[in-house]
Parts: sequence; C-alpha cells; structure tokens
Amino acid sequence: MATVPLAQAPLAETLSGKRVLITGATGFVGEALLERLLHDLPETSVVVVVRRKGMTSATERVEQLLNGAAFERLRARDGAAAVQALVGTRITVLEGDLDSIPALPADLDLVIHCAGEVSFDPPIDEGFATNLHGTLNLLAAIDSSGATPHYLHVSTAYVAGRQQGHIREGRLDHNVDWRYEAELAAQLRERVEIDSRSAKQLATFSNEAENQHGVTGASSISAEAEKRRASWVAKQLVDAGRERGRSLGWTDCYTFTKAMAERAVEETATHLPVTVLRPSIIESALEQPFPGWIQGFKMAEPIILAFGRGDLPEFPAIPDGVLDVIPVDLVVNATLAAAAQTPEPGTPAYYTICSGARNPLLFGRLYELVREYFIEHPMVQRDRGEVKVPQWNWPGSARVGQLIRLGERAQRTADRVVTHLPRSNRTRDWARSLDRQRGRLEFLRRYYDLYQPYTEAELHFTDNATFGLHQGLHPDDIARFGFDASIIDWPHYLQDVHVPAVVAPMTTLSAMRGVRPEPTRTVVNGASNIVAVFDMDGTLLSSNVVESYLQLRLPELSLPAKAREVSEVARALPRWLATERKDRSAFLRMVYRRYDGASLAELEQIVDDDIRPTMLTRLAPSAVRALREHRAAGHHLVLVTGAVSPLTRPLAPLFDEIVAAELQVDAHGRCTGLLKRPPLVGEARASWLHHRAAEAGWDLAASYAYGDSTSDLPLLRAVGHPVVIDPDVVLSRVARKERWPVEIWHQGTAPRRDETTPPPRTLRAVR
Amino acid sequence: MSRPGFVLTVDERTPPLLMHSGESFKLQEFPLGTRVIYPPESLPGVVDIDETIENALLHPVDSEPLPALLRAGMKLTIAFDDLSLPLPPMRKPDIRQRILEHVLQHAAEAGVDDVELIVATALHRRMTADEIKAAVGERVFRSFWPDQLYNFDAEDRANLAHLGTTDSGEDVEISKRAAESDLLIYVNINLVAMDGGWKSTAVGLASYNSLRHHHNAHTMVHSRSFMDPRHSELHSSAWRMGRIINDHVKVFQIETTLNNDAFPSQYGFLTKREWEWSLRDQALFLGAKRGLDLLPTKQRRRVFQSIEAPYLVTGVSAGAVEPVHAETLERVHRQQLVEVDGQTDVLVMGLPYLCPYNVNSVMNPILAACLGLGYFFNMYRNKPLVREGGVLILNHPVPWEFSTLHHPSYVDFFDEVLSESTDPKVIGPKFEQQYATDPWYTHLYRTSHAYHGVHPFYMWYWCAHALDHVGEVIWVGGDRRAVARMGMRSASTFADALELARDTVGASPTITYTHNPPHLLAEVR
Repeated sequence: MATVPLAQAPLAETLSGKRVLITGATGFVGEALLERLLHDLPETSVVVVVRRKGMTSATERVEQLLNGAAFERLRARDGAAAVQALVGTRITVLEGDLDSIPALPADLDLVIHCAGEVSFDPPIDEGFATNLHGTLNLLAAIDSSGATPHYLHVSTAYVAGRQQGHIREGRLDHNVDWRYEAELAAQLRERVEIDSRSAKQLATFSNEAENQHGVTGASSISAEAEKRRASWVAKQLVDAGRERGRSLGWTDCYTFTKAMAERAVEETATHLPVTVLRPSIIESALEQPFPGWIQGFKMAEPIILAFGRGDLPEFPAIPDGVLDVIPVDLVVNATLAAAAQTPEPGTPAYYTICSGARNPLLFGRLYELVREYFIEHPMVQRDRGEVKVPQWNWPGSARVGQLIRLGERAQRTADRVVTHLPRSNRTRDWARSLDRQRGRLEFLRRYYDLYQPYTEAELHFTDNATFGLHQGLHPDDIARFGFDASIIDWPHYLQDVHVPAVVAPMTTLSAMRGVRPEPTRTVVNGASNIVAVFDMDGTLLSSNVVESYLQLRLPELSLPAKAREVSEVARALPRWLATERKDRSAFLRMVYRRYDGASLAELEQIVDDDIRPTMLTRLAPSAVRALREHRAAGHHLVLVTGAVSPLTRPLAPLFDEIVAAELQVDAHGRCTGLLKRPPLVGEARASWLHHRAAEAGWDLAASYAYGDSTSDLPLLRAVGHPVVIDPDVVLSRVARKERWPVEIWHQGTAPRRDETTPPPRTLRAVR
Repeated sequence: MSRPGFVLTVDERTPPLLMHSGESFKLQEFPLGTRVIYPPESLPGVVDIDETIENALLHPVDSEPLPALLRAGMKLTIAFDDLSLPLPPMRKPDIRQRILEHVLQHAAEAGVDDVELIVATALHRRMTADEIKAAVGERVFRSFWPDQLYNFDAEDRANLAHLGTTDSGEDVEISKRAAESDLLIYVNINLVAMDGGWKSTAVGLASYNSLRHHHNAHTMVHSRSFMDPRHSELHSSAWRMGRIINDHVKVFQIETTLNNDAFPSQYGFLTKREWEWSLRDQALFLGAKRGLDLLPTKQRRRVFQSIEAPYLVTGVSAGAVEPVHAETLERVHRQQLVEVDGQTDVLVMGLPYLCPYNVNSVMNPILAACLGLGYFFNMYRNKPLVREGGVLILNHPVPWEFSTLHHPSYVDFFDEVLSESTDPKVIGPKFEQQYATDPWYTHLYRTSHAYHGVHPFYMWYWCAHALDHVGEVIWVGGDRRAVARMGMRSASTFADALELARDTVGASPTITYTHNPPHLLAEVR
C-alpha cells in the first residue's frame, strides 16, 4: 500500500530553506497553509500573491490576516510584533491576481496554487477565467521567472464528475478539449450580451420594470429595466455553465472548469514536477490552528444553520449516501507531505484527500448527529423561543423538487394578490411573511439545485496514494502532520467541533439583531435650510384623488346631473385605477379633465365651506404632530401634491410652501380641464426638490420627506431622512430593506366622513 | 299628575333594570339591597308657550319690561346658548327660536336696526350653518345669517373687550360687541342646575384669558358640586365677573326650563320604571336593542344622533340675572331633585351616547370620562352620593375614537398629556398654556369646527372633584387601553366590576344606581 518510501527526515527539515509561493493565501485553505508554514516550518519562507481590495493594499491585507483568529496561537507563541515583522522578511507579498500575475522570484522551490473560483455556479466565462486561465497565467509566470519549482495544484475530488462507484486517484478519463471549451465560453458572454439587447428582450425587461415601478417615472423604469437586463445576462451565463458542465458529465460549472484546469496543467506543465491535490468537501479544522477554525461559510454550513433554524423541512439526499467531508487541517497536512515528495516532471502525482474511503460519513448519520446537537443545543429565535428541528423522511429528490416548485407557485400567486390588495396593517403583515417565506424558498431552491448532484452522487473516492503518503511520514511527524481520515471521530467532530463553530457566529449575530431597534423617526433641531417635505393624499390625509374630485364637483351639480356624474365616474373607475398603477401623472390628468367648466372661485369657495370638514376629518393627528415637531425644530415645511391647489387651502396654515397642480383658467375664470404645468408626481417631485434646493440653498441630506406610496420613492430617496407612512406593499418592502422608519398614521384613527360631518350644503347656499 | 323622584331598593321581585352604555343600552340585574334612584316624572309643560314668553318679557323680574328697554338707534345684542344645550337636541321649534322671534318682534316694533345675534360658544366649536338654523329657526336665520348672526370668536383679539378685574384678580374679557351694546339680551336653556345665571354671559361670551381663572383644577375641586351654585367655586367666580359685566352693560336675562321628556315615544322605555313597562315598551326595547346592536357603528351613531327630545317648556323667566336665575333653579329642582338618605360605597352609572360636546360627533374617551366623573358624579347637593374613597362604576364602551374635525387637540391630549400624568393639578401647569396658544388649534377653532385647543384640559378639570373624592373608577365594557390611559380600570361585566371594587370597599358594600338620563339631582341627607 505504501507507495512512498518512508521519509528520512521530518517535514520541517525537508522543507527547510525552501521558498514557497502560495496563491489564494487569503482563502480558506491558503490561510490555513500559511499559518502552518509560519508556525511549524520555521526555516521555510513564503511568497504570497494577494489582490488589492479597494483602498487596502496587498501588504495591509496580509497584515490584517496575521491579526486574525487563525494566527492567534502564532502570536501567542512569538508575540504580535514578531508576527507582524514576518511581512517583508519571511513573507514576501506580491500584489496581483490571477488575471495579472506579477513577476515571480526566480528562486521558488514550491508553488501551491490554492486560488480559484469559490462559487459553485459562476457565469461560465468567469469560471473559465478564474479556474483555467488563472492557472495558465500562473504557469506562464513561473516559466518567465526562470524557476522550475514543484507545482502543487489544489483541485477537488469532485472533478470525477457524476460517476458511480469507486473513483481512483490519477488522470481523469475524458477527452474534452479544454481550449475549445474555454474559447466558446468567452464568446458566449458577447453572444448573450447581444441577445439581451434584442428589441424583444428589451421590451420584456421594460414591461417587467414598468409593472413594478410604473408609478415612479421613466428614469426609475429604465434603471430597473437595465438592472433586469444585467441579471438576465448573468443568469444565462450561469445556466450555460451549469448545463455545459452537466452535459459533459460534471455536477456544475465549478467541477467542470476545475477538471479543465487539471487537464491544462497536465498538458502544459510537462517540464515541472506536478502534484494534483483533490480534497473533497473541506470543513472546519479538527485540531489546527484550533478545533473548529473555519473561515467564512463553505458548503455544508448554510444547510446546517437552516436545519437548526427549522427552515429545512426535507432534503433531497439519500440517507445511505456518503457526504465526503474533510477537516481543513488534514488537507493542509497532506499538501505539505505532498510538497516534500517531488515527482518526476511529466508524470504528475495525484492525491485524493477525503474521508469517504476509510471513514465514510453517511448522510443519515450526519443528519442524526446534527439533529442530536440541535436537540441538545437548540437555536433560539427572537420572541419565539427554541426552534423545533425538523425530522426528515428522505422522500427522495424528485418529491422534494416537487414540493419546492409547488411552494414557489403558491408564493408567486400570493404575492400577486397581496400587492394588489388595499393597503392595511394586515396586508403589510402578509407581505412581510410572504417575503420571509420567499427567502426560505429561494434558499431551498438554490441549495436544492446546487446539492442535488452531490448528495445523490454515489461516488466512492479511494485514497490509496494519499494514505501511502501519510504512512510515509517521518515518525516524528505522524502526530503533528498526519492526515489519516480514519482517526476522525464523527460524533466528536460534528457535535463538539464543527457544528458549534458554525452556530457560534450566528447566535452572536442574532443576539445583536435582537437588540437592533426598529428604525424610528427623530426630528433634530436645525437651521431653516433643512426642509420637511410632505405628500398630501395618503400621507397627511387618508383619501385619494377620485374622491376629492367627486367632492369638489358634486355640490355644483343638480341632482340628475349628479347621478349621471357618479355613474360615469363609476364606469371610468377601473380604467382610472389601471392607469394609476402605471402612470400617476396620466391618471391625474384624466381626473382633472373633468373639472372642465367649473369656476375656480367657486371651487375655492366649496373647498372652504364643504370640503374643509372632510379633509380635516381625514387629517392624521400624527401628521400634525410631525409638522409641529419640524416647526419647533425650525425646519422649512413644504407640501408637495399632485392634487389641485384649491384642495390644499385647508392645510395651508401648516406649511411654509405649497406646490400643487394649478388648474388652467379661461378669461371668465372657468377651468379648462387642463393644468398649467404637469402635475408634480413621481420623479418630477425629486427633480423639483433638487432644483428648489439648489435655488434656496436647502440641505437635502439633512432634510426629511414623508410619503405613502411607491410613486413617492424618488422624493424619499432625494433626502437624508425619508419617512414612510402607511405604505403600500411595494414601498413597505423598500422601507424594510433600507431601514427607513415606517409610521402608521391613519389606521383606526380616521373616522369616515359621514360619521362626523354634516351633509354638504347645496350650491344654492354658495351662490 | 307627575310622580316625584323615587328611591327603589332592589328585592326579589325587581326586574333587571335599564342601563345606558354609550350607543347602546342593556338590562342589568343588581344585587339585593341596591338603591336605585329614579328622577321625578316629567312635569307638565306650560299651556301656551307664546303667552308665557310674552308674559315674561312684559313682566320681568327686577327690570323694566322689554319694550321699555328698546329704542330706535340703539345697539342691541342677543346672545344665546350653543348646541351643547339641550341634550338631546330639542324637537323643532327650539325654545331659542320661539324666544328670539318674540324678542326680535319687540325690537322691530321699537325700530331697533342695529341687532346682532351671537352664539355664545365660548371655547366650544363653531356651530355649522345648519345647526344654527335648527336652533334659531328658518326666519331668523334667513334674516340675519351670516353677518348679524354668527358664532362668538374668543380668539378674535380685535373684537374682545377687557372690562376689568374682579376683587379676586380675575380678568373679565368678553365679546366687545356684547360689552359695548346698549342692551345685551341672553337667551338660555337651563337644562341642569349648573347652567344659567352669570355663567351665561361671563362664560359663554368670554375668552381664554377670562375663563382660565375658574376653569382649572383648583376651582373644580372646590366646586362641591358645580351643580349647586351656592357651593360652587366656579359659580362664585362667574358671579364676581358678572357683576363687572353688569357695571358695563345692561343685561336682560331670559331663562327657560324644560321638563324630563328627553326621549321620543319610541324610546319611551328609557323614561319609564321597568316594572311598569307595557307590552309595547317591552317590544320596543327588544326591537331597539337588537336592531341597534346589529347596526354598524356608523349607522348606529346616526340613529342616536338623530334623536330629538320632545321637551316641554316648564317656564320662562326674564329680567335681572340673579333673581331670574333663582326662579329658574327652583323650577329645575322641582323637575330633578330627589331626596336620598346617606351616601353609598359604590355608585353605579350608565353613561348615554351624548354629552354637551359630542353633538353630531364622537364621544371620545375624555368626553366619556367628563360625562361620568364631571357631570353625572356632580349631580348632587349637600354631599356626593358616593362616600369619600368609595368606588364609581361606569358603564360605557369608551372606544378609542376621536373626531379629528371636532376634537383635534383631544387626540394629542390623550396621547401626549394623559400618557404623562392623569392628575389635573399636574397637567395644568405643565401643558395647558401650550395647548391654549397652539396656532394650528387656534386656526381650526376659528375657521373650522374644532373645540379650542385648551378644551380637553377643561374636560379633565371637570373630573377633578370626582378624581379627588373617590377611591377607584371602574369602567364596565370599556376599551382596556383607553381606560388604562386615563389611569382607571376596566371590567368586562358588572359582576367583575363589583369583584374589583371589593379591594376598595370590602365584600358587602352598599350600592346605589342612578337611573338617568333623564336628569336627576340627588339631595343627599
């Protein structure tokens, strides 16, 4: 079995004086590797290629890394200052990434290529760019440096693809032309970008955007349409990657491009000693740097957490399938051991680093252990007490898929219904729980698609070469550098090490979330260059334009005319409402067209005499309080409305400035049914506000805006302190996301008109 | 012949008794031994009302006859009570209309041109044109509205006159027009003993500057009760002010009294003793109760607000304010006074749908409290019906509902003031000024139909004496949040309320139930 002769010296000695290049040092395996090198191989020096991230340089990133949790034992042993001093001495930092690898030193002895795409479903061109071209770039850079190091290529056990049964270590058995695949993948982006710009596609994006953002205005629609186009392109490329991978026998784009990279290495690095390392699913550390160390969330963690939260009622796996998990420190140990064994150039060595071969963890066993853990240590949900963990019945992948599809369909229907319901607390609650459910479903869908091939695969990896490598370790190294997966005690690893490590950040996070308060409105004192802008219909008043119109016109009409008018309005109502959903400005114009022939002076008189009580009855007391607060704070109060100016008369004393629709009047003081200017709705409000602010020197970032509907979004976004009042479903979703304060001003407080108001008097009294 | 008031002691034969509870009523069983106080039955009205009015005007008390006071070229102002009186509103023609028509007839005969009619709203809401028309009648309305018939505006600084201060340092500031008239005639409806006298002009035509001297917690705690002018600090103050007014303007007071016919015949069961209900009364009760309870709130409110009382006029007195009011009070007492022996541990009251400040509007929690703790509790002479430290059990749903048109400052008072303190002595100094001078409330009071910003404070001061006197207030069927906001307790049933009351008054308290409206004034021995 032991194909490797017993080592003559311990690793520290073998690798002493060597210079090792690590790519992906800020990644999970790379960081673990760096830590081990620094901690346990004192005579080995390191070169890392690290990307600059925003304002943080590569060196600063490495310094931050050395301050992290993984290096704690190193800092404890050597002192923090000594660890930081390693940068520039034992550690050489090169700034760059796989697209543009900097010039490499000529004295490299080892290159460990850990960097790669972390996502399982990247767009196909990106998958190739990172996994394949990144590797080729690295090999080219090695060549131009003049060094001929031992090249260790970190791949994945799942490059084996969707096979069944035993998977041996060695060259993959396939004839796929990686150069051709890579070339077409690169071309595909251009093709999809072109397709996304076809008239038909663009029209679809615009229509979708209009349905959602119609009321806000043209530029919001176009921004949304462009966003939809970009995400459509990304989705096409992601689908293409997954499907191309599957059509050739791999699970997804990740394993497909990883396999292509292996073949590329085999074919282009014939002059170098090459070792291909194929770890299975890498999880938290068993022992080093400390038990449970994990960086970010990998493959199984979201599933474990979702299970603990009770969000995973079933799973598309087979209980006697193997989930091949390997702790990261075992991968690091195996890599170092492999690094010490230099193969002949042209005959790469292959090592599969897995647990399935000698210590298989069955899916059913994993489930039981994790479940036991959560029964013992249940997660606590805010206000709901301990979560009850679900019991899986393993109904099989097809059934789970069906359940998810059913859920998605129900979700879509419910969502359509709820966005069309009249706004109320109940509607918003429904919307909120639908959103929560959608989040859950999207999670299920994503992981169902992703995991199905892995969890259903009945792969059985063998690791004879790797086990041989382990047995060939110098006796002194067995304890510190061993990587025999059979020593893993799964109950211990899962229940004492891994799951607690995964859950810990979540419980602290949810504890933090528990005290995170709902956003609230606070009015701070300020100068008069701070404005508070209020929308009228729906925000200050619980009413809408159709009603206002009827109230304004009715007193002027005789009884039969009144009946006719009401029935005409009733007939037009569905059309009006449809228009309102799409374009508020067009809707207002349709309504105001009916003022044709009305006398402006009379309208004002009617408002003063008859409409004032109705409006004041509908004026939210909380609105007046908010206005009072702003007034006390010294702010400039502005009313912005699409309603006609006579209707703002009752509220006039509350404001410093009123912007309303002005009715056009003919020579006899009669309304023409047209407006002097377009009504101020949607984006027009935001642009008006910017214009006025520039003119009057208002400080919009310190200013406030109050609105109730999606059409107020541009206005709300224009200021630093948006406040959302009795929002519709769409707006309430935005508010929740942006953490804008939401206040309920009208529900349960505004009595209906006829409860409190004497009947409006007839026009006779007016004339 | 109408029977006097009566105190029933509940025994085995007593049927369940009628009780008001907001926009509903119910039949309630009481523990044996409970005393139930019934008001006297309605007195007969005067035979010929026009003759009675004319007689009062021509033979006034301590005054020359009205025609002798009228002359061409004089400035005449007639002020009259607003829609807070009578309750429920009176079936037309309203007594105010009848009197105004007589007075205006005399004025016309004397050739008086400069006549103005002012609704004495004080800080109440402006009456609407329709409401004024209902009070003064079509003819008067058509002739004088809107320029010579209008609502008083206590915030119209230019049209207020400061007449001086009383010995106690109280400002007297009233309508300038009234103060500068050659004759001020006041037409009142003296529904309860609190109304009338100098309170008509010194309160009804006064500004906040003047009212604040007696509308405060201190005065109200020392008005025991304000339904008994002899022992009411409120009335003493109004009388002091009245004398200052009297020095400036000749006041001719016309006071009227009504009988106890508060409900039309279809609600006859509301004014009858339960054991005397005819089959028709029982059927009407059942029909009304079932029907009303089935109606949505809005419709039910409309039914109640449309009730008009078939009140009959029991007398009209005219002349000098104080002797006229003495006659008036005598008639009020004849209609409402009931002698009761001793106080009680627990006083039970059913609050109806209407108080002076929610005509055509919503009875909000503050108004409900004011009706129970202010008005009904104070319907006594000598000493309160309930002993000091006793328990008040009020029946009313206390819905958390406000008219933002009529009571805008109430909403804020309820949310911002009562949430900080329910003690009238605390909230006055801290918040009153701010509410009284708020520009938006003032704007609404002057141009819309809103009660003045300070009005909710007055409602709460009205409760001060009761809050000071009783040990506990329990609302049966009250909205828990609203009741708790007012610092009181709620119970779902009368039995639960009695159970809660045990903490304060022990296991077997004496219980008294006042069976009103119609109004009764308890003379407690």
